[in-house]
Amino acid sequence: MELGLIAIGAGLAVMTGALTAIGEGNVFAKAVEAIGKNPEAENKLRSMAIVGAAISETCAIYGLLVSLLIMFVLGGRV
Amino acid sequence: MEIQDTVYYIIAITMAIIAILFYANIQIKKYDPLDKPKGIVLLLMMGVTTVDKMVNDQTNEIIAENLGPYIGTLTVYLVLSNISGLIGFDPPTANYSVTLTLAMITVFLIEKNAIKFNGLKNYLKGFFKPFAPFFLMNVVGKVAPLISMSMRLFGNILTGGVIMSIVYMFTGLASNLVPIIGQFNFIGLIIAPALHFYFDLFAGLIQTYIFISLTIALIGKELPLK
Repeated sequence: MELGLIAIGAGLAVMTGALTAIGEGNVFAKAVEAIGKNPEAENKLRSMAIVGAAISETCAIYGLLVSLLIMFVLGGRV
Repeated sequence: MEIQDTVYYIIAITMAIIAILFYANIQIKKYDPLDKPKGIVLLLMMGVTTVDKMVNDQTNEIIAENLGPYIGTLTVYLVLSNISGLIGFDPPTANYSVTLTLAMITVFLIEKNAIKFNGLKNYLKGFFKPFAPFFLMNVVGKVAPLISMSMRLFGNILTGGVIMSIVYMFTGLASNLVPIIGQFNFIGLIIAPALHFYFDLFAGLIQTYIFISLTIALIGKELPLK
Protein backbone atom coordinates (compact mmCIF):
# COMPACT_ATOMS: atom_id res chain seq x y z
CA MET A 1 0.00 0.00 0.00
CA GLU A 2 2.60 2.52 1.09
CA LEU A 3 5.05 1.36 -1.57
CA GLY A 4 2.37 1.91 -4.21
CA LEU A 5 1.81 5.49 -3.06
CA ILE A 6 5.57 6.12 -3.19
CA ALA A 7 5.66 4.82 -6.75
CA ILE A 8 2.78 7.12 -7.72
CA GLY A 9 4.57 10.09 -6.14
CA ALA A 10 7.77 9.32 -8.02
CA GLY A 11 5.82 9.05 -11.25
CA LEU A 12 4.10 12.40 -10.66
CA ALA A 13 7.41 14.11 -9.86
CA VAL A 14 8.97 13.02 -13.11
CA MET A 15 6.06 14.51 -15.07
CA THR A 16 7.87 17.89 -14.98
CA GLY A 17 9.46 16.53 -18.14
CA ALA A 18 6.24 17.04 -20.09
CA LEU A 19 6.27 20.84 -20.01
CA THR A 20 10.05 20.98 -20.30
CA ALA A 21 9.82 19.06 -23.55
CA ILE A 22 7.49 21.73 -24.93
CA GLY A 23 9.91 24.45 -23.85
CA GLU A 24 12.90 22.73 -25.37
CA GLY A 25 10.97 22.16 -28.56
CA ASN A 26 10.28 25.89 -28.67
CA VAL A 27 13.97 26.68 -28.27
CA PHE A 28 14.98 24.55 -31.22
CA ALA A 29 12.01 25.60 -33.36
CA LYS A 30 12.98 29.25 -32.94
CA ALA A 31 16.63 28.41 -33.60
CA VAL A 32 15.74 26.70 -36.87
CA GLU A 33 13.57 29.67 -37.81
CA ALA A 34 16.40 32.08 -37.06
CA ILE A 35 18.90 30.05 -39.09
CA GLY A 36 16.43 30.09 -41.96
CA LYS A 37 16.38 33.88 -41.82
CA ASN A 38 20.14 34.38 -41.27
CA PRO A 39 22.07 31.32 -42.44
CA GLU A 40 25.41 33.06 -41.77
CA ALA A 41 24.71 33.19 -38.00
CA GLU A 42 24.41 29.42 -37.75
CA ASN A 43 27.50 28.77 -35.60
CA LYS A 44 26.55 31.36 -33.00
CA LEU A 45 22.93 30.22 -32.92
CA ARG A 46 23.79 26.56 -32.56
CA SER A 47 25.78 26.99 -29.35
CA MET A 48 23.21 29.43 -28.01
CA ALA A 49 20.35 27.03 -28.71
CA ILE A 50 22.14 24.13 -27.02
CA VAL A 51 22.84 26.23 -23.94
CA GLY A 52 19.23 27.45 -23.86
CA ALA A 53 17.95 23.91 -24.15
CA ALA A 54 20.29 22.71 -21.40
CA ILE A 55 19.16 25.50 -19.07
CA SER A 56 15.47 24.77 -19.63
CA GLU A 57 16.24 21.09 -19.20
CA THR A 58 17.18 21.87 -15.61
CA CYS A 59 13.50 21.86 -14.58
CA ALA A 60 13.08 18.32 -15.85
CA ILE A 61 16.27 17.36 -14.03
CA TYR A 62 14.87 18.75 -10.78
CA GLY A 63 11.79 16.60 -11.23
CA LEU A 64 13.90 13.54 -11.99
CA LEU A 65 16.05 14.25 -8.93
CA VAL A 66 12.99 14.53 -6.69
CA SER A 67 11.59 11.30 -8.08
CA LEU A 68 14.91 9.50 -7.51
CA LEU A 69 15.03 10.81 -3.95
CA ILE A 70 11.47 9.63 -3.36
CA MET A 71 12.29 6.20 -4.75
CA PHE A 72 15.56 5.58 -2.98
CA VAL A 73 15.11 7.49 0.29
CA LEU A 74 11.43 6.89 1.01
CA GLY A 75 11.33 3.56 -0.82
CA GLY A 76 14.28 2.31 1.20
CA ARG A 77 12.39 2.89 4.45
CA VAL A 78 9.40 0.72 3.63
CA MET B 1 32.93 9.96 11.03
CA GLU B 2 33.51 7.91 7.93
CA ILE B 3 35.20 9.28 4.83
CA GLN B 4 33.07 9.35 1.71
CA ASP B 5 34.35 7.52 -1.36
CA THR B 6 34.17 10.76 -3.31
CA VAL B 7 37.18 12.09 -1.42
CA TYR B 8 39.44 9.46 -2.99
CA TYR B 9 38.11 10.23 -6.46
CA ILE B 10 38.69 13.94 -5.87
CA ILE B 11 42.28 13.19 -4.85
CA ALA B 12 42.77 11.07 -7.97
CA ILE B 13 41.42 13.83 -10.20
CA THR B 14 43.56 16.44 -8.48
CA MET B 15 46.60 14.20 -9.09
CA ALA B 16 45.65 13.97 -12.77
CA ILE B 17 45.36 17.75 -13.01
CA ILE B 18 48.76 18.20 -11.33
CA ALA B 19 50.33 15.70 -13.73
CA ILE B 20 48.84 17.51 -16.73
CA LEU B 21 50.07 20.86 -15.40
CA PHE B 22 53.59 19.49 -14.84
CA TYR B 23 53.68 18.23 -18.41
CA ALA B 24 52.29 21.53 -19.70
CA ASN B 25 54.85 23.47 -17.69
CA ILE B 26 57.75 21.47 -19.19
CA GLN B 27 56.37 21.95 -22.69
CA ILE B 28 55.87 25.69 -22.21
CA LYS B 29 59.43 26.12 -20.93
CA LYS B 30 60.72 24.30 -24.00
CA TYR B 31 58.56 26.40 -26.32
CA ASP B 32 60.29 29.05 -28.41
CA PRO B 33 57.95 32.08 -28.89
CA LEU B 34 59.03 32.44 -32.52
CA ASP B 35 57.90 28.90 -33.42
CA LYS B 36 54.43 27.78 -34.37
CA PRO B 37 52.77 26.41 -31.20
CA LYS B 38 51.70 22.79 -31.33
CA GLY B 39 50.40 20.04 -29.06
CA ILE B 40 49.49 21.01 -25.52
CA VAL B 41 50.94 24.52 -25.87
CA LEU B 42 48.52 25.29 -28.71
CA LEU B 43 45.64 23.85 -26.70
CA LEU B 44 46.52 25.97 -23.68
CA MET B 45 46.89 29.10 -25.81
CA MET B 46 43.46 28.57 -27.36
CA GLY B 47 41.91 27.88 -23.97
CA VAL B 48 43.41 30.94 -22.32
CA THR B 49 42.40 33.17 -25.24
CA THR B 50 38.82 31.87 -25.17
CA VAL B 51 38.43 32.28 -21.41
CA ASP B 52 39.98 35.75 -21.46
CA LYS B 53 37.63 36.83 -24.23
CA MET B 54 34.59 35.44 -22.40
CA VAL B 55 35.55 37.16 -19.16
CA ASN B 56 36.54 40.45 -20.75
CA ASP B 57 33.31 40.71 -22.73
CA GLN B 58 31.08 40.57 -19.69
CA THR B 59 33.05 42.05 -16.79
CA ASN B 60 35.55 44.88 -16.40
CA GLU B 61 39.34 44.73 -16.67
CA ILE B 62 40.03 44.71 -12.93
CA ILE B 63 37.89 41.64 -12.27
CA ALA B 64 38.88 39.93 -15.52
CA GLU B 65 42.52 39.79 -14.48
CA ASN B 66 41.72 37.60 -11.46
CA LEU B 67 38.55 35.91 -12.67
CA GLY B 68 40.11 34.49 -15.84
CA PRO B 69 42.50 32.08 -14.07
CA TYR B 70 39.74 30.98 -11.68
CA ILE B 71 37.40 30.22 -14.58
CA GLY B 72 40.17 28.29 -16.33
CA THR B 73 40.84 26.20 -13.23
CA LEU B 74 37.13 25.58 -12.74
CA THR B 75 36.78 24.46 -16.37
CA VAL B 76 39.60 21.93 -16.15
CA TYR B 77 38.33 20.56 -12.84
CA LEU B 78 34.70 20.31 -13.92
CA VAL B 79 35.51 18.73 -17.29
CA LEU B 80 37.72 16.10 -15.70
CA SER B 81 35.28 15.30 -12.91
CA ASN B 82 32.19 15.24 -15.15
CA ILE B 83 33.67 12.83 -17.67
CA SER B 84 35.38 10.69 -15.01
CA GLY B 85 32.29 8.45 -15.02
CA LEU B 86 33.66 7.01 -18.28
CA ILE B 87 36.54 5.25 -16.48
CA GLY B 88 34.40 3.89 -13.69
CA PHE B 89 34.72 6.67 -11.12
CA ASP B 90 31.82 8.07 -9.13
CA PRO B 91 31.99 11.60 -10.56
CA PRO B 92 32.83 14.02 -7.70
CA THR B 93 30.21 16.40 -9.08
CA ALA B 94 27.57 13.75 -8.31
CA ASN B 95 28.17 14.60 -4.65
CA TYR B 96 26.12 17.55 -3.43
CA SER B 97 28.89 18.84 -1.14
CA VAL B 98 31.16 19.47 -4.13
CA THR B 99 28.63 21.34 -6.27
CA LEU B 100 27.34 23.32 -3.29
CA THR B 101 30.90 24.46 -2.53
CA LEU B 102 31.46 25.55 -6.13
CA ALA B 103 28.15 27.44 -6.16
CA MET B 104 29.05 29.09 -2.84
CA ILE B 105 32.28 30.37 -4.37
CA THR B 106 30.27 31.84 -7.25
CA VAL B 107 27.74 33.54 -4.96
CA PHE B 108 30.53 34.92 -2.78
CA LEU B 109 32.28 36.35 -5.87
CA ILE B 110 29.02 37.93 -7.09
CA GLU B 111 28.34 39.70 -3.79
CA LYS B 112 31.96 40.69 -3.16
CA ASN B 113 32.37 42.28 -6.57
CA ALA B 114 28.96 43.96 -6.36
CA ILE B 115 29.96 45.60 -3.07
CA LYS B 116 33.45 46.47 -4.30
CA PHE B 117 32.38 48.20 -7.51
CA ASN B 118 29.02 49.70 -6.51
CA GLY B 119 29.98 50.82 -3.00
CA LEU B 120 28.29 49.52 0.12
CA LYS B 121 25.65 52.27 0.10
CA ASN B 122 24.50 51.60 -3.45
CA TYR B 123 24.62 47.87 -2.80
CA LEU B 124 22.26 48.17 0.16
CA LYS B 125 20.05 50.55 -1.84
CA GLY B 126 19.81 47.89 -4.53
CA PHE B 127 17.78 45.72 -2.15
CA PHE B 128 14.90 48.23 -2.30
CA LYS B 129 14.76 48.54 -6.09
CA PRO B 130 12.44 49.12 -7.87
CA PHE B 131 10.16 49.71 -4.82
CA ALA B 132 10.65 49.12 -1.10
CA PRO B 133 8.27 46.09 -0.92
CA PHE B 134 10.59 44.23 -3.29
CA PHE B 135 13.07 43.73 -0.42
CA LEU B 136 12.01 40.14 0.22
CA MET B 137 12.15 39.21 -3.47
CA ASN B 138 15.63 40.69 -3.77
CA VAL B 139 16.86 38.71 -0.76
CA VAL B 140 15.47 35.51 -2.27
CA GLY B 141 17.08 36.46 -5.57
CA LYS B 142 20.48 36.65 -3.88
CA VAL B 143 20.18 33.10 -2.54
CA ALA B 144 18.55 31.57 -5.64
CA PRO B 145 21.76 31.15 -7.70
CA LEU B 146 23.24 29.08 -4.88
CA ILE B 147 20.46 26.50 -5.09
CA SER B 148 19.83 26.57 -8.83
CA MET B 149 23.48 26.34 -9.90
CA SER B 150 24.44 23.61 -7.46
CA MET B 151 21.28 21.59 -8.14
CA ARG B 152 21.68 21.88 -11.91
CA LEU B 153 25.17 20.42 -11.98
CA PHE B 154 24.46 17.84 -9.26
CA GLY B 155 21.18 16.68 -10.82
CA ASN B 156 22.55 16.32 -14.33
CA ILE B 157 25.58 14.29 -13.35
CA LEU B 158 23.84 12.18 -10.68
CA THR B 159 20.84 11.28 -12.86
CA GLY B 160 23.22 10.36 -15.67
CA GLY B 161 24.96 7.90 -13.38
CA VAL B 162 21.70 6.50 -12.00
CA ILE B 163 20.20 6.04 -15.47
CA MET B 164 23.35 4.28 -16.66
CA SER B 165 23.25 1.86 -13.72
CA ILE B 166 19.54 1.17 -14.41
CA VAL B 167 20.39 0.51 -18.07
CA TYR B 168 23.10 -1.96 -17.09
CA MET B 169 20.76 -3.70 -14.66
CA PHE B 170 18.03 -3.98 -17.29
CA THR B 171 20.30 -5.19 -20.08
CA GLY B 172 21.82 -7.71 -17.67
CA LEU B 173 18.36 -9.12 -16.96
CA ALA B 174 17.47 -9.11 -20.66
CA SER B 175 20.63 -10.90 -21.75
CA ASN B 176 20.08 -13.52 -19.05
CA LEU B 177 17.13 -14.76 -21.12
CA VAL B 178 19.50 -15.91 -23.87
CA PRO B 179 20.61 -19.47 -23.00
CA ILE B 180 24.35 -19.93 -23.43
CA ILE B 181 26.05 -16.54 -23.77
CA GLY B 182 23.52 -14.95 -21.40
CA GLN B 183 25.95 -14.71 -18.49
CA PHE B 184 27.83 -12.03 -20.40
CA ASN B 185 25.91 -8.74 -20.65
CA PHE B 186 26.17 -8.45 -24.45
CA ILE B 187 23.04 -6.31 -24.94
CA GLY B 188 24.50 -3.64 -22.67
CA LEU B 189 27.62 -3.66 -24.83
CA ILE B 190 25.51 -2.60 -27.81
CA ILE B 191 23.23 -0.05 -26.12
CA ALA B 192 25.46 1.53 -23.50
CA PRO B 193 28.12 3.37 -25.59
CA ALA B 194 25.62 5.80 -27.13
CA LEU B 195 24.10 6.52 -23.72
CA HIS B 196 27.55 6.96 -22.18
CA PHE B 197 28.32 9.41 -24.95
CA TYR B 198 25.23 11.46 -24.12
CA PHE B 199 25.15 11.27 -20.31
CA ASP B 200 28.86 11.42 -19.55
CA LEU B 201 30.53 13.30 -22.40
CA PHE B 202 27.84 15.56 -23.86
CA ALA B 203 25.95 16.42 -20.67
CA GLY B 204 29.20 16.79 -18.73
CA LEU B 205 30.77 19.22 -21.20
CA ILE B 206 27.55 21.21 -21.68
CA GLN B 207 27.03 21.52 -17.92
CA THR B 208 30.62 22.70 -17.50
CA TYR B 209 30.07 25.37 -20.13
CA ILE B 210 26.79 26.43 -18.52
CA PHE B 211 28.32 26.60 -15.06
CA ILE B 212 31.22 28.80 -16.10
CA SER B 213 29.20 31.05 -18.40
CA LEU B 214 26.56 31.54 -15.70
CA THR B 215 29.29 32.38 -13.19
CA ILE B 216 30.69 35.04 -15.51
CA ALA B 217 27.27 36.38 -16.49
CA LEU B 218 26.00 36.64 -12.92
CA ILE B 219 29.15 38.45 -11.79
CA GLY B 220 28.95 40.81 -14.76
CA LYS B 221 25.24 41.52 -14.21
CA GLU B 222 25.79 43.13 -10.80
CA LEU B 223 28.52 45.52 -12.01
CA PRO B 224 27.84 49.16 -12.90
CA LEU B 225 27.53 49.77 -16.63
CA LYS B 226 30.75 50.49 -18.51
